[in-house]
Order: sequence, then C-alpha cells, then structure tokens
Amino acid sequence: MSEASAAGAAPPLIRLDRVSRWYTRGVDEVHALEDCSLELGSGLFAAFMGPSGSGKSTLLNLISGIDQPSAGDVWVAGQLLGDLSEDELAGWRAQHVGLIFQFFNLVPVLSARDNVALPLLLTDMPRAERLHRAEIALRVVGLEHRIGHSPRTLSGGEQQRVAIARALVSDPDLIVADEPTGDLDARNAEATLGLLRQLKEEFGKTVIMVTHDPRALRFVDQVFHLDKGILLEGDEARRAHDALELAAGGAPLPAPGG
Amino acid sequence: MGYFGLVLANLRRNQLRSLLTGGAIALAVLLVCILLTMPAGLDALLNRIASNTRISVVNKAGLVYPMPYAFARKFRALPGVEDAMAQVWFGGAFEQAGRVTFPNFAVEADRVESVYPDWNISPQGLADFRRYRDGAIVGRGTMRKYGWKVGDRITLRSTVWPADLDLRIVAELASDRAQILWLNWEYLAQALKAKGRSLGIAGIVWVRVKDPKDVNSVMLRIQELTHNSEAETSTQTEKSFFSSFFGSLEGFVTILMIVTALVSLCIVFIAGNTASMAVRERAGEIAVLKAIGFRRSAIFSMLVAETVVLSVLAGGVGVGLAALLTRVLREVAAGSEQLGPLGGFIVNQAVMIQGLALSLGIGVVAGLVPAWGAARKPVAQTLREVF
Repeated sequence: MSEASAAGAAPPLIRLDRVSRWYTRGVDEVHALEDCSLELGSGLFAAFMGPSGSGKSTLLNLISGIDQPSAGDVWVAGQLLGDLSEDELAGWRAQHVGLIFQFFNLVPVLSARDNVALPLLLTDMPRAERLHRAEIALRVVGLEHRIGHSPRTLSGGEQQRVAIARALVSDPDLIVADEPTGDLDARNAEATLGLLRQLKEEFGKTVIMVTHDPRALRFVDQVFHLDKGILLEGDEARRAHDALELAAGGAPLPAPGG
Repeated sequence: MGYFGLVLANLRRNQLRSLLTGGAIALAVLLVCILLTMPAGLDALLNRIASNTRISVVNKAGLVYPMPYAFARKFRALPGVEDAMAQVWFGGAFEQAGRVTFPNFAVEADRVESVYPDWNISPQGLADFRRYRDGAIVGRGTMRKYGWKVGDRITLRSTVWPADLDLRIVAELASDRAQILWLNWEYLAQALKAKGRSLGIAGIVWVRVKDPKDVNSVMLRIQELTHNSEAETSTQTEKSFFSSFFGSLEGFVTILMIVTALVSLCIVFIAGNTASMAVRERAGEIAVLKAIGFRRSAIFSMLVAETVVLSVLAGGVGVGLAALLTRVLREVAAGSEQLGPLGGFIVNQAVMIQGLALSLGIGVVAGLVPAWGAARKPVAQTLREVF
C-alpha cells in the first residue's frame, strides 16, 4: 500500500520519488534523468515535452515499467515497480499499461484484428472472446470496417489507430504514448490526439504522452517540461511553457505541471 | 489466433526465404534418410543372397587355387554338416569364343537340393538336373539376356578345360544371383575322362550346416581337417563371403555418413543464420511484444518454435521424398535383375524417426542462439536500440 493511501487521501495513480536513471554508453556514463519527483492523478491526459535527449522517453519507460530507475522509486497504481523482476514487470505491463509507439510496429503478417488481439494472448481468455474484444477496440478507434486488413494496406494514421486499439484492448489503467504523432501528417496527428483525448474523456483512462508536437498541447490537461534529464519547475517551467505557447500561435494552453 | 497461429504467420512473412531454408533442410534430410537405408539395405541384400548356415571352403592360398575334390566327401562326414557340394569353374563361353559372359560352374547335381534348399528351385527342375547328365540350371538374368527358356539347348566352350559341352536347360534360378549357370559335375568329369583328363579338383566346396549355432565349430573342424594337407583351406559363412565384396562399399557408406553429418551441420548453420536474420529484421516487433507484456520465455519459445516448425515440416517432406524415392526404386528394381538389390533400400519406420529427429534437432539448434539473444535482452535496451 502506498504512503498516500495509508494517510487516507486519494492515492495518485503515478508517483515518482527522486528518480534518477543513468547508464553507460561505451566509456561514458549518461545521466538520462536526474532526481525527478512527481505525482499524477488518474483520469488525466498529460504530456511530457522537451528537446531530444531531455529524458522524456526514459521517464516514460520508467512509468510504464519498461525500465527500472538507477535510484528512487516509481509507484504506479499502488505498485512499487522496483519490487518486480523483469518477467513480473512484463506481466504487470500486460495488465496495467497500454503502449503506443511512434512507428506503430504492428505485425505485418497479421490482420488488424489479430494485431489488436495480441496482448490478450497473454490472458487465459478464449479465442472468440479475444477476437470480440479486438473488434470492439477497433470500433472505438473507428476502424471496424478494416478488421481483416493487413497493416500493409492501411495508411499511417490507420496503423496508429490500430496501435491505439491494441493499447486499449486489455483495458489498462494507464495508456502510455511515445511520440504517437511523430510519424503522421497534420490531419492524422490531430485525429490521433483527438482519439487519445477521447480515451480519457469517454473511458476515464489516464494517458501519458511524450511529444514534440505543439499541437498536442490543445488536447492535454497538463504539460511537464524536461531539459537535460531534469523535470523543470517554477520559473523554468513557466519559461518553457511560454515558448511553447508562442510556437503554438499564442493559443491558450494547459497549465504547466511540475 | 493463438501462439501457434502467430508462429505460422511469422513463417509466412518471407515465403521465399522460408521455402529456400525449408528446401535446404528437406534435401539434407532426404540425403540422410537415403544413406541411412544403406547399412540395412546391404544387410538385407546379404540376407537375400547369402545364408548364415552355408560355409564356403576355398584354398587358403586364394580362390584361383584348387582343392582336392575328395575334401567334399570328408566335409560331409563331419558332425553337424547337413551336406557339402563341390563346384568348379567351367569358364564356358557362349557364342563369342574365349569370352565368358556369365559365371558358370560344374556342381554336384545330387547335392544342390540339400545345400541350396533356400533357393527355391522347382522340384521338377532339380529332378531333371539329377536325371539328365547334360542338364543345366540357369539364372533368370542370363535366361532373359539370351532369350532362353527351359528345354532349350545351348553349347558352352570352356576356356579352362578341353571340353565343349552341349547343355539342356532344365530349370531357372529365380535368385538374385541369377546370372549363374550350373552344369552337372559328372558330365564334365566324363567329358574330361574321354580326353584322358580327370576332374579331381574343386574350386569351392559349399558346406551346409544343420544348425546355425554349429557354424563356428564346423568351420574350425574343416580347418583342422585340412591343416598341413596339400591344400590348407580358408572358411567363411556365405554371408561373410559375400560381405567381403561389400566391405569396401560399407567403408564408402561410412565416409558418406560423415559427409552427410557435416552437410547437416552446414544446414544447421544456414538455418541458424536465416533465423538470426529474421530476428534482426523483426527487432522492432519483438521489442514491442516484450513491451506490451510478452515474457522472455514466450518470446524465446515462439522464436525457437518457428525454426522447429519449419525444420520439422521440411524434414517431413524430406522423409516423404526419401520414402517415395526408395519405393519407386523398389518398383523399378522388382522388374530388373540388375537393379534387384536396390529394392532392399527401404525407408522404414526407424529411418523415418531418425530423419524427423534430425530435422527437429536442426530446428532446435538453429533457433536456439538467435532466440536466446532476442529473449534475454532487457526490453528497455531493445527499444533504445530499435527506436
């Protein structure tokens, strides 16, 4: 049980406590993330932004249980991820996290429906039920007419929607998207962001996204800024936010987190 | 779609590559299966043409040196001996003078039945062979070659003895040693006597032992009997007598088996390399599968299963082709005396199991290293490398 729940308050879905991540690349030690602490409640659509190498994806990997911190603790849905082995983490991810990547990475020899049903292979669900759920997920992303199509016959936007359906199909608490619009044109990027927003609005999912795309700011509830492995706070966060507002054409943006 | 469906789908990913790799494995398994039939085939061949209870006795100095004809009578008197038959090379040429085109021997006509009961010579033929001094028993191959039939008369001009003999074909030998011609010992002896010569020698004496377990003791007695005589003898069972002809072939088969093992090893490396390429190409997908919750054991099992399924399917094709090939060979051999022995090379159940086990082994070994490499790498590292 987390400290917050022990105190009687509504526990945050995600809590990072002085998390650092460093690794060696050749002879160099790379500090990808330094002393990062944050809390995120459930039902939020949050974005992490920052330049390349700022530690956004590292942070996302830590939150989604893909990676383990070098120091500090990561709690998600009351689970301290550091307590889990690699295989236990895989099982935990299958249950609690839906992942979306920039390059979709669908299995080209499977139909859209079979791709979406892949995470359900990890459950003991009967085949018919797996396929039924996959069809529902494809309906949610508006691809019910493309169920039997192979990824090769789908556009980039459609492939990303299949990937979103794959992330959604196991009904996870948390949906994590790493640059989901990075490989899409403007129209498909908007549609994808709208879909992620829809997941939050209609299904109450917590959506965490890493992006460079200023368009994303119109869809999210909260923005976090990272730079050189540090989660910006106070004035630094405000300055980064102002710069983004300018890039987005001066439109009002959600308040910065951190 | 379940795990197995995913494995099959991945095999269809690059059909040409799967086909070529499978083809290489099928060919290797086919080759191994054919070679695996050889030891059993040679043994079957020996069993068909030779007996364990028939002993050949020849001059120790070599096959071309004769022994006294009287030895046959002495051997017959030994305990455990059913009967013994002397035979001597006649070396008769048919049509073309001086050219012997099939093996022909003078044999003791009244001993053929008891020494060769397993050759299934017709009772009428045996009776006629005993009755007619000029009778001859001829192998089926030679009968066909010259278009002879029972009742025909032929003349053989000996290249060894001063004798040209007119012969009457009284029986056909439906045996694999079907080139042979036997003529009556007495006929040759009388022909030589008429020319002032005697037939007091034998080239080989075939001794049939009553009980297979007495073979060694009879062979020992024969050697003791002829020890220090004018013609010391060497004895072998008929099976070992013929197997000595195949000895060099067995060595050849051993070499072939070694080469085949090396070929199989090459196929393992080729299949392993192909599997590595496939895993490298799918690094992104594998990373995503791990990220969405597939455990290392699941990734490892699926990747190994891919090579195993491909290899076993290809192995099945190889075994099937080998069985088909040997079956066709058997059919063809059944109608040809020359190819007859090839009918013994059969892909039996044991060979099939060995062939499939080989293909399973190829699949497991080829898939092991790339699958282990892909499975053991932490998911974060895989994602960093790929994206």
